[in-house]
Amino acid sequence: MATPSDQPLGADSAGSASQPANVPVPQGRRRTELLLLLFVVGVVMLAYANVGLGLNGKVPAGMFQYGIAFAILVGGAHLAVRWLAPWADPLLLPLAALLNGLGIVMIYRLQQAGRGGNGGFVIATMSTSTTTLQVAYSAVGTAAFVAVLAFIRQPRTLQRYTYTLGAIGLVLLALPALLPASISEVPGTAAKIQISLGGFTVQPEEFAKLALAVFFAGYLVSKRDVLALAGRRVLGIDLPRARDLGPVLIAWGASLVVLIFESDIGTSALFFGLFVVMMYVATQRTSWLIIGFLLFVFGSLVTAGLFAHVRERFVIWLHPFSYVHTTAFQLVQGLYGMGFGGILGRGLGQGQPYNTPLVQSDLIITAFGEELGLTGLMALLLIYGLIVQRGLRAAIAVRDPFSKLLAGGLAFVIALQVFVIVGGVTRLIPLTGITTPFLSQGGSSLIASWMLIGLLMRISDTARKPAPQPIQDEGMTQVVRAG
Amino acid sequence: MNRALRRVSLICLVLFVLLLVNVNYVQGFEASSLANEPGNGRTFSAQFQFQRGSIVTADQKVIADSRLNKNFGEYQRRYPYGQVYAPVTGYDSLFSATGIEQAENKQLSGTDPALAVHNLIDLISGKPKKGATVQLTINSVAQQAAYNAIKAQGRQAGVVAINPQTGAILVLASYPTFDPNQYATLNGAKLDKNDARYRANPNQPLLNRAINVTFPPGSTFKVVTSSTLFSTGRYAPDTRVFAPTNLKLPGVSQPLINFDNEACNDGSNPTGHGTVPLIFAFTVSCNTVFGNLGMKVGGSKLQEEANLFGMNKANLTIPLPVTQSNFPLYTDPAQAAGGAIGQESDTVTPLQEAMFASAIADNGTLMKPYLVDKVTAPDLTTLSTTQPTALSHPVSPTAANDVKQMMVSVTQSSAGTAHFSADVPGIVIAGKTGTAQTGINNTGLDDAVFTCFAPASNPQIAVGVVVKGGGQGADASAPIAVAIIKAYLASLGKG
Repeated sequence: MATPSDQPLGADSAGSASQPANVPVPQGRRRTELLLLLFVVGVVMLAYANVGLGLNGKVPAGMFQYGIAFAILVGGAHLAVRWLAPWADPLLLPLAALLNGLGIVMIYRLQQAGRGGNGGFVIATMSTSTTTLQVAYSAVGTAAFVAVLAFIRQPRTLQRYTYTLGAIGLVLLALPALLPASISEVPGTAAKIQISLGGFTVQPEEFAKLALAVFFAGYLVSKRDVLALAGRRVLGIDLPRARDLGPVLIAWGASLVVLIFESDIGTSALFFGLFVVMMYVATQRTSWLIIGFLLFVFGSLVTAGLFAHVRERFVIWLHPFSYVHTTAFQLVQGLYGMGFGGILGRGLGQGQPYNTPLVQSDLIITAFGEELGLTGLMALLLIYGLIVQRGLRAAIAVRDPFSKLLAGGLAFVIALQVFVIVGGVTRLIPLTGITTPFLSQGGSSLIASWMLIGLLMRISDTARKPAPQPIQDEGMTQVVRAG
Repeated sequence: MNRALRRVSLICLVLFVLLLVNVNYVQGFEASSLANEPGNGRTFSAQFQFQRGSIVTADQKVIADSRLNKNFGEYQRRYPYGQVYAPVTGYDSLFSATGIEQAENKQLSGTDPALAVHNLIDLISGKPKKGATVQLTINSVAQQAAYNAIKAQGRQAGVVAINPQTGAILVLASYPTFDPNQYATLNGAKLDKNDARYRANPNQPLLNRAINVTFPPGSTFKVVTSSTLFSTGRYAPDTRVFAPTNLKLPGVSQPLINFDNEACNDGSNPTGHGTVPLIFAFTVSCNTVFGNLGMKVGGSKLQEEANLFGMNKANLTIPLPVTQSNFPLYTDPAQAAGGAIGQESDTVTPLQEAMFASAIADNGTLMKPYLVDKVTAPDLTTLSTTQPTALSHPVSPTAANDVKQMMVSVTQSSAGTAHFSADVPGIVIAGKTGTAQTGINNTGLDDAVFTCFAPASNPQIAVGVVVKGGGQGADASAPIAVAIIKAYLASLGKG
C-alpha cells in the first residue's frame, strides 16, 4: 500500500523536475487544502467555544474532545485524498468540512437549550447524546467519502452499472411509500420518507438521489443523440419528437408519485429538476428546460387542487401570518428567528432558535440566520455556492461525457436542494421539508452528501490529472538500422 | 455539453442570487415588521435583557421598576406596592403584559421611535440601553387610601377618582386584585403556576373592576336624567313635579315604587298623588318622580345626554382600554322610566361614575380621562406630556350648577340619602347615591354606587365608587369616597 508521501504533492513535487520549463506545472494543491482544513478546524473550534460562552459564559466542557474528533475526521479525509485523488479540487473538502463542523456546533447548541441551566426549552427529540451521534455520523460520512474515492478509481466504471443503479434508486425511492406508515412516516408530519426499524432511521431518498444521478447520466449519455433530434420548431423553440418525450413523462410521473404517496413535495421537485437539467445538458436543447418547467408547474397546481396537504403549503406560503398559531407556526417562528437575528445575529447561544419546531433538521438554516445573522447566513450560502461552482468546474474540465453529465447533475442537485430548503424557510417559495446538506441533524443526508462530494472529487481528480508524460529517457524513437 | 453546463451554472447563480436577495429582504428589511408581529415571542422576551423604564406616580413614588436578577442574568420587574397599583400598572411577565406595562410598552421598553436617537447615543457612548420613565397622574396618598378602604369592606369593588378640571385620573383601584410581583418571576414554570392559581380563583382577582367591569348605576343615573331635564330649559331645582307613591307604567302590571315602597313626601305631598320640588325628589332619591320624568322626556333624549356624559363609547382609552358603559335607546315608555332611574339595561364602570360627577363639577365640561402625565427619557428630557382635552360638554354651566345644588343637598340636607355618611366637617361634598337592584326579580344583593365631587365650591376631585353587593349606596360606597376625598385634599394641603 502506498503511503501518501509517495504521491505528487503539487508545485514542489519532485516529479516536475524533468519537465520543460515553459510547460505549466500541474498542481495537486493538497497543501492549500491542508491549510484550508486547519482554518476550518479553527473556525469550528471557535464557534464551539462561542456557543458555550454565549450560553453560560463558560467554554464548553467537551470542546477539546469534539475538536480533536473533528480534526481527526477531516485530517483522515485529507490523507485519503492525498493517497486516492491527489489531483482533486482542493476547495471541495474544506468547504464540506466547514459545513459539517458548523452543523455539529449548531446541533450542540440546540441540544443544550433548556439544559444545564441554559435558557430556552428542551427540544424534545434531542438528547444529550445527539451531538455525539452527529459526530459519529460525520465519521461514517467521511468514511463513505473515502470509500467512494477508494472503490471508484475511474468515474467511467460507474457507467457499467447504469441500469442496476437505476433500479436500486427507484426501489429506494419507492420503498417508504410501500411500507406501512408506522415504519415510514416522519412523526408529526404526513411525509412517508423514512425507514425506521429498531430505533435506527434511514432516509433512503438521500441515497436514491446519488443512484438516480448516475442512472440519468448513463442513460442520457447513451440516448442523447436520439433525444436531441429536433421535431417541429414552434416559437423559436425546437420541440422534441413526441415519442422522445417518453422518458421525461416517466420521470415526471415518478416525481408526482413521490409527491402524492410520500407527501414529499421537496424531494419530488429535487428529482424532477435533476432529471430535466441533466437532460438539457445531454441534449443541449433549451426546449427540455421549458417543457420540464411547465410540466412541474402544471403538476404542482393540479396536485395542489387535488390534495389538501399540498394546497396547505401554498396557502401558508402566501398568508403565513393568518395561520400563525396553526399550520404556519413553524414557518413563522423561523421567520421571527431570522428577523430577530437581523444583520449581525444574536450570537451563537444567545438567540431563541428552540422556539422553532424542527429547527435541528429542516429549519436549521433559520437557527444560523438567528444567531449568526444575515452576515453568517450569506456566508453559508456562498459556501454552498462555491461547492456548486467547483462541481460545475469539474464537469466542464472533465473530458468523458458520462463524468461530465454526472458532475453537472450532482452540482446542480446541491444548488437545487439548497434553493428548495433555504427558499422555503425564507418564504421565497412554498416550504417543503427536505434536509439542508451537511447541516441538518441526521445521518442519511450527511453520509449521502459526503458521498456526493466524494464523487465530485473523483471526477475533478480525473479532470485535473495531467496526461501521462512520454517517458523521455527510453521513449525516444529509435532508428533501427537494417542491414 | 460545455455550453449547456455554463448555462446551468448561470441557472445556479440565479438561484443563489435569489436566495441572497431574499435573506437580505427578510433579515434586513422585514426584520422590524416581523419584530412588531403581535405573536412574536422573541421580541417580547428580548426586553428582559436591559433595564425597562420605571412607572412612577404623580408625586414621584416608584410603583414599578426593573432590577438585575443575578441568577437569571436578566432584568426582573418589581412592584413595590403590589396590589395597591395592580389595576394601574398591570404586569409585565415573560409571556405577556397588561395595564400600563402593555399600553406604554414602547416607551418603557425603549422601542418607541421617539427614543431612537437616545438609544443611538447610548449605543455609541457605551451606556446600557434603558427604557423611558412613565409618570402617571395617580396620587399615591389617595390611591393608598382608596385601596385600604375597599380592602377593609371586603367586597368586590371598583373606584376611580378624577381631577375634574383636567381629566387626570387620581385614583384607580379594584378589589379583589392580584400581586403583579407574582407575574414578574423569570422562572417560566413558576409563572405558569402563579397565573393558573389566579385564573382558578372564583373571585376573579385579575379583573380590573375600575374600568373593565360594568354595574347597574342605580339612582346615580338621576344625575344624567336631571341634566337632561335642565337642558330642556323647562325645569329648575324648585320646579314642582308629580310624585306618586306608586307610578303606573304603561303595559306593565307592576307599578314603579320607591326604595322600601316609601312615599315621596316632604310634607307637601301627604296624599301620595301630589307634587314635590325636584330638588327634594333628588335629595331623597324618589324613583317614581324620575321614572315619570324619564317617560315624559323620552328615551332618545336620555340617550343623547348619556352619550354626552361618555356612555355608549366603545373605544375610550386612558390609555388602558375602557369597557363601554351602556345606555340603550329605550323606545318603550316603561323601559325609559326604568332607564331614567339607572335600572333596565343601564350599565356603567366606576370610571363612568366618576365622569358623571366630573362633568358637573367642571361646569358642564367633561374632560377626557387620562392616566399618563408624561414620559421622560433616561436622561430626564421630557419626551411627551399629555395635554388635557375636553371630551364633550354634556350640560350648560347653568344646568351644571343646578345639578350641583341638588347634589350638595344629598349630603347637606338632613333628609339626604348621604347625609349621615358623607357630611364631613369642613368639606362640602356634592354627591348622589345609588342602590342598584340586581339579579332575577331583584333577588340579588344590591350594588352600592356613589358618585360625588368635592369641595362643592371649588371642585378638586370627582369620585365614582361601586361596591358589588354592598347594599345601600350611602352605607357601603360613600364612606370609601369620603376616605379618598379626605386623603387627597389633605395631600394637596401639604403640597
